[in-house]
Amino acid sequence: MVVEPKAPIVEMRQITKTFGSTRALRGVDFTVLPGEIHALLGRNGAGKSTLVSCLSGIVAADSGRVRIGQADIIANGESYAAALRDEIAHVQQTPRLFDLLTVAENLFLENPAVRRRGWVSHRQMIARAAQVLETWGIEISPTALAGQLGAGTRQLLEIIKALNRGVPVMILDEPTAALSNAEKRVLFDHVRALKAQGVSFVYISHHLDEVFEIADTVTILRDGQTVTERAAVSSLDVETIADLMMGQKTQRSVREDFTDASAPPLLEARGLRLGKGTVDFQVRKGEIVALAGPVGSGKEDLAMILAGHKAPLGGRVFSPSGKLPVIGLVPTDRHASGYVGLLGVRENVTLGGLDLLSGGLGFIDRGREAAHVGDLARRTNVIAASLEQPVGQLSGGNQQKVVFARALCRDPQVIVALSPTRGVDVGAKEQLYGLLRDLAAKGMGVVVVSDEEDEISQLANRVVIVFEEEIVGELVGDYSMKDLILRMEGVA
Amino acid sequence: MMVRAERSRWQAFGQGFVAHGFTMYPVLLLLVIVGAVVAPRFLSTINLINILEQVSVLGLTTIGLSFVVLIGRLDLSLEGIVGFAPMLAAVLMASASAGGYGVELPGWAGLLVALGSAGLIGFFNGFMVVRVGLNPFISTLGLLVLLRGSILIISNGRSIYSPGAALTYLGSAKIAGLPVSVLVFLAVAVLVGCIFQYHRYGRALYAIGRNEEAARAAGIDVDRVIWSAFVFAGLLAGLAGVLMTGRLDSAVTTQGEGIIFSAFAAAVIGGVSLGGGKGNIIGVVSGVLLIGVINNLLTLAQVPSFYVQASTGAVIIVAAVLTTLASRRSSGVKTRT
Ligand SMILES: Nc1ncnc2c1ncn2[C@@H]1O[C@H](COP(=O)(O)OP(=O)(O)OP(=O)(O)O)[C@@H](O)[C@H]1O
Ligand SMILES: [Mg+2]
Repeated sequence: MVVEPKAPIVEMRQITKTFGSTRALRGVDFTVLPGEIHALLGRNGAGKSTLVSCLSGIVAADSGRVRIGQADIIANGESYAAALRDEIAHVQQTPRLFDLLTVAENLFLENPAVRRRGWVSHRQMIARAAQVLETWGIEISPTALAGQLGAGTRQLLEIIKALNRGVPVMILDEPTAALSNAEKRVLFDHVRALKAQGVSFVYISHHLDEVFEIADTVTILRDGQTVTERAAVSSLDVETIADLMMGQKTQRSVREDFTDASAPPLLEARGLRLGKGTVDFQVRKGEIVALAGPVGSGKEDLAMILAGHKAPLGGRVFSPSGKLPVIGLVPTDRHASGYVGLLGVRENVTLGGLDLLSGGLGFIDRGREAAHVGDLARRTNVIAASLEQPVGQLSGGNQQKVVFARALCRDPQVIVALSPTRGVDVGAKEQLYGLLRDLAAKGMGVVVVSDEEDEISQLANRVVIVFEEEIVGELVGDYSMKDLILRMEGVA
Repeated sequence: MMVRAERSRWQAFGQGFVAHGFTMYPVLLLLVIVGAVVAPRFLSTINLINILEQVSVLGLTTIGLSFVVLIGRLDLSLEGIVGFAPMLAAVLMASASAGGYGVELPGWAGLLVALGSAGLIGFFNGFMVVRVGLNPFISTLGLLVLLRGSILIISNGRSIYSPGAALTYLGSAKIAGLPVSVLVFLAVAVLVGCIFQYHRYGRALYAIGRNEEAARAAGIDVDRVIWSAFVFAGLLAGLAGVLMTGRLDSAVTTQGEGIIFSAFAAAVIGGVSLGGGKGNIIGVVSGVLLIGVINNLLTLAQVPSFYVQASTGAVIIVAAVLTTLASRRSSGVKTRT
C-alpha cells in the first residue's frame, strides 16, 4: 500500500515585505502540513513575526502567494485578512487583550457561541469562561478585569482565545516567553491534544529546547530569507540550529564570580514583608544574585521593592553607606512598561538617564546623548534601521534590548532585571550575559529574576529561592545544574 | 533607482514637515494671500499687529493647555482662570469707590496675586488628579463652573475699570510699536518650545503621554511631572488673563468666556493629539494664528457678525480634518504599538 503524502494546508510562495528601507522578507517559501507543529526559528529581526503576520493577514505581503486550505491569495500589498478569518488564528508577540474588559468578555469577544439573535448572553458567557478556565487549571474569576492579571495569565488567555476559535491553523508567536514552567506544561498538553485532532501549528520560540519537545519540523530564517526549509527535528540538534540561526558559532559562556565580600553591601533589605513572612536580603558589589521560585512566590514583588518601584507591607530597604545606590530596572512586561512605542530608540534609552544626560538647567546635552545612547545600543546589540526608529517597529527581541539599554543609561550601581532576556535570541543572550558580567566585574550589583535554569546557572553567583513570600533556600558559589533544578522543582 | 531615491527624499521631507508641526503654515500662507486680495486693509502693518495682539491671549492659554494635553490629560478650568485671576487682583487693587475691597494693593503686588492665584488653582487641579485620582475632565469642569461663579461673587457682578498700571502694563504697553503682549506671547512660545524639544522635562511629558507605565519604570517621577504640568497650565492661563485685562483696561466679569474651546481647536489644528504625547509649539502657534487670521478676515470682509461664529466653527472642522489627514498620510507605515 502506498502512503499518500498529505497535501499541505498552508503554502506561502515567494513572499516579500518591505517596511520603509527595511526589507523584512525577500522571497520566502513556507509550507505546513495538516496536524504538524512547525517551528519557525531565526535570530531577532530575521522576519519571523513578519512572515506569520503575512500568513494571517495582519500585515499584507507586498507580493507572493498565500494559500490556507481553500483560501488562495495573490498578495499585492492590499489587506486580505478578512479572506482568511475562518482559516487561521494568530497569537501575536505583543499582547492584544482589552484591559478594561473582563476575562470572560475577552475570551468570547466576537465569538458566535455566546450570541443569540445578535444579543450576547452574559450568563452563558461567564459559565463557559469558567469552564474553559477550569480545563486550563487557571484559578481566576471570569469576571476579573484583564488589565489586573499577571503577564503569564494574560498570555494564556490570549492563547485560549485563539485556540477556542476552532480553526485548522494556529500561529503561536513566542507563546512561552511570559509563561512559567508549569504554565508551559499546560499549554503543551493542549497543543498536543489539538494536534491529535489534525490542527496545525506554526510555533515561534527562542527556547530551542522547546522545539525538540514539541515540534516536528523546523524552518530557519535569516535576514528575511530561508536558510533551512522543512528540516525534520530529529535531524538537528541545539548547536546546529543556533549556528544556522546566527550564521556563526555561538559559544555558551559560564558564570564568573566577581563578588566583593569585603565591602559592605550595596543594597540591603531588612524585615521586608511581602505577605505573611519577612525577608532579609542583600546584594554586594560585583555580585550577581538570582531570585527563583514559582509564579506568585513573590520573587517579582521582592525585586520591584528592591528597585524602589513598589512599597513593601513592612520593613525597609537601605544602603549601609547611607545613600541609596542608583538602580536600573528591567521590568517584566516590556509591552506594558518597558518602552514607549512611538518614540525612537534614542529617546527611549535616554528616558532611563534624563538627569545624567542633561546639563545644569536641565536641557539635554544632545552630543553627549547621541554618544552615550549609541554606545549603549551597541553594547546591548540593538538592531534598528536607525536610532530614530520608533521602538514599536522593532522586532520583539530588539525591543527587549532597548529596555535593557534604558536600564543601564544612568550608569546604575545596582541593576534589577526581571526576565531580562525574554524574547532575545541565543546569540544576543550571550552578549547580554557578557555585558552583565563586565559590569559586575566593575563593581555593579546585579539582581536577576528568572524562570530559566540555564540563564540562572550561566549568570548567578548566588541563587535565592523564594516561596510563598519568604526566602526558603539559597545556593552559593559552586552549585551544579542538578542542585539548581532540584531546588527549583522542590518548591514548584 | 534614481526616481525611487528622489521620491523617498520627498517623503522624508513631508514626514519631517508634518512631524515638526509645519502642516498648517502653507494653509496660513494661502489665507494671507486670499486676505490680501479680498480686503486690501488686511496686509497693513496695523492690522497684522492687531491680529498678533488679539491672538496672544489665546496663544498663552493654548500653550498652557498643551502642557496637560501632552500628558494625555486636559484642563477646562483654564478658561475660569483667565477670568478669575485678574479679577481677584483687580478687586484687591481698586479703591472701594471703583468697586474694589478698598485693600488697594500696590500694582506689582496685584500682578503677583493674579499669577499666584492662577498657579495655586493649577496646583489644586494637580492635587485632584494625582492624589485624589479624579478624572481631569470632571474635576476641572467642576472647577470651571466654580470659578465662573466666584468671579461674580468677588466682583459683586460688576466689572472693574482701570485696575492699575502695573496690572495692565503687559497687555497695553508698546515697545517700538510692538505691543508688549505680543512680545510676551512670542517669548513664552520660544521658551516653552525649547523646553518641549530639548529639556528633560519635555522628554518626560512626551513619554508620559505615550506610555505612562514605561515612563514610571524608566525612573521618571511621573506624579510630579503631571502635577507640575497643571501648575504651568494654570500660570500661563493667569498670564493670558492679565494680558486680556490689560488690553481692555478692565477686569470684565465675562472675561475669557469660550476661550477654552478656541484653545482646544487651536491645539488640534496645530497637530496636538488629545490622546497625549504628540504635538509641539510650532504647531500650536500655527493653530492659534489660523484662528486669529480667520476671525480677522471674516470681520474685515464684513461678514455679518451672526455668521462669523458659525464660519469659524466650520473652518475649525476643515482645518482639523486637514491636519489629521496629513499626519495619517505622513506616518506611512503603521506602528505596532
Ligand atoms: N511596522 C514596522 N515598521 C518598520 N519596520 C518593521 C515593522 N515591523 C517589522 N519591522 C522590521 O522588520 C524586521 C523583521 O522584524 P520581525 O518582527 O519579523 O522579526 P522577528 O524575526 O520576529 O524577530 P524577534 O525574534 O526579535 O521577534 C525587523 O528589522 C523590524 O525592525
Ligand atoms: Mg518577533
